[in-house]
Amino acid sequence: MEPTLEQPSIDVELHRRLVYGDESALREAYAAYGGLVRRVAVRVTRSPAAAEDVAQEVFAQLWSRPYGFDARRGSLRTWLSMLAHRRAVDWVRGEARHRKDPRADDTVLHGIPDPRPGPDEAVVDRERSLLLHTALAELPRPQREVVHLAYFAGRTYRQAAVELGIPEGTAKTRLRSALRKLAESLADPPDPAPVRGA
Amino acid sequence: MTNDHDGVRELLAAWAVGALPPGDDRTVPLHLAACEACAAEAERLRDTVRLLDGARGAGAPAGAAVAGSADGVLASALRARRPRAAAVAPHAAPYAAAVAGLQALVPELDGRWGLPVVHDWDAHATVAHLIAADEHLAVRLGVDARPPASNIPAGTPAGDAWDRRTADVIAHEHTRTPGETVATWAAQAAELLITPEARDAELAARPATVMGLRLPVADHFVIRGFEAWIHTDDIGRALGLPVPPPADEHLRTLVRLAVRILGPALHGAPPVLVDITGPAGTHWVLGDESEPLTAELTLDPVDFCLLVGGRHTPDEVPRIVTGDERAARTVLERAASLAWL
Repeated sequence: MEPTLEQPSIDVELHRRLVYGDESALREAYAAYGGLVRRVAVRVTRSPAAAEDVAQEVFAQLWSRPYGFDARRGSLRTWLSMLAHRRAVDWVRGEARHRKDPRADDTVLHGIPDPRPGPDEAVVDRERSLLLHTALAELPRPQREVVHLAYFAGRTYRQAAVELGIPEGTAKTRLRSALRKLAESLADPPDPAPVRGA
Repeated sequence: MTNDHDGVRELLAAWAVGALPPGDDRTVPLHLAACEACAAEAERLRDTVRLLDGARGAGAPAGAAVAGSADGVLASALRARRPRAAAVAPHAAPYAAAVAGLQALVPELDGRWGLPVVHDWDAHATVAHLIAADEHLAVRLGVDARPPASNIPAGTPAGDAWDRRTADVIAHEHTRTPGETVATWAAQAAELLITPEARDAELAARPATVMGLRLPVADHFVIRGFEAWIHTDDIGRALGLPVPPPADEHLRTLVRLAVRILGPALHGAPPVLVDITGPAGTHWVLGDESEPLTAELTLDPVDFCLLVGGRHTPDEVPRIVTGDERAARTVLERAASLAWL
């Protein structure tokens, strides 16, 4: 679905129908954004089963708390994408905590080197990837929105600017600041603060 | 298209995530081949994106297996605590939707039930009032009243009886938790929506007197929908959350009923063409139809409903008047004086 100037009014109409308990609006939202939600979730969790759980949670939340989405603050596409991402990060962190593997606790998830013979490269990459996704979930909303549109939703920065109603230059700058911050988070891991709820 | 160093530098993040529009996507690699600083920055950003994409050899590759079961996700979402709007006949559909609409707002009230909403009611009292307001029709249709009975002497005027019942129910509900009050309201609404009269237009065509108003049961259902929506809108305003207007076909039903009730109240008044705009739009001549039109009054359907519901005054309601201002003013004042709620 290409972003158009009509998108805000489509979101407003979909939101109105969700608020008034119209089940077909949920089906339409799923048809439009279910693929994106799963794509985001699978990229973070690496697990189709987990992505299914995340998708269920995301659409259950859209249905049971439609006022969580506010069309004045952004598009439904970015809202669902950001919600899916946050839930997926929560899922992986919860999974890591439940595993008995001592390498998978928060210390390692936040990149503090293990003095023992290291885990293999794939596991390190896996942990660095989660570290990045955690940092992404904590970016300021304006930066996160551009990353979600340009990276997860496959928009060009120009299309993202149109969808967000911002100048192209601003979209480029936000994307650049966001990616730089993510790159820095690898070099300089943050405190292991819990990810806030969406 | 950008050729300069600074311009390309601005594009590197978009390049790294594959978000360059055609044109720019050729410029960047050309510059990178010639500029070491940009090439290093590009490599750093690309590495970051590679990690975002997912780790090598760990679990499913990015983009794989994203097709899942729509049925599973939708069924699970619909099992979530909030029910869908009940399937009912068209006359009860605005009420069913309004009930779903208030249920959608309830989670946002968590911890804010004492918020002043309308009259001297907080959010808790507003829902309690809806229990009392819906109860008159519910009892008429054979649904048992839930809060304890009020001691209202026979012969009390309908308006006074209505006010006393609301006051009693609010007092009672304030001894309970908001969750209990919502549950009582929702259970009564659900029972109203499974009565045969909610599902059968023919049964609902029979007149019934509810709080002094003799109308077909179908119209009483429309009034229930009207009131539930208006009070949900009140709560939304108090929360700073705009409540969307009802669906166009429901709004049309509300407007039609309001106009039908307004008609007799304007008997003998100078005729005015009332034009309701938008997808729910329609128009009527109100007043003495044998006389030539004196004015044309154009109103948005939501504003018209808010006027009839006492949420706009005749002074402030947005409208367009052509012709005799005083004749139009009479219509606005009578509409406001219906004072349904």
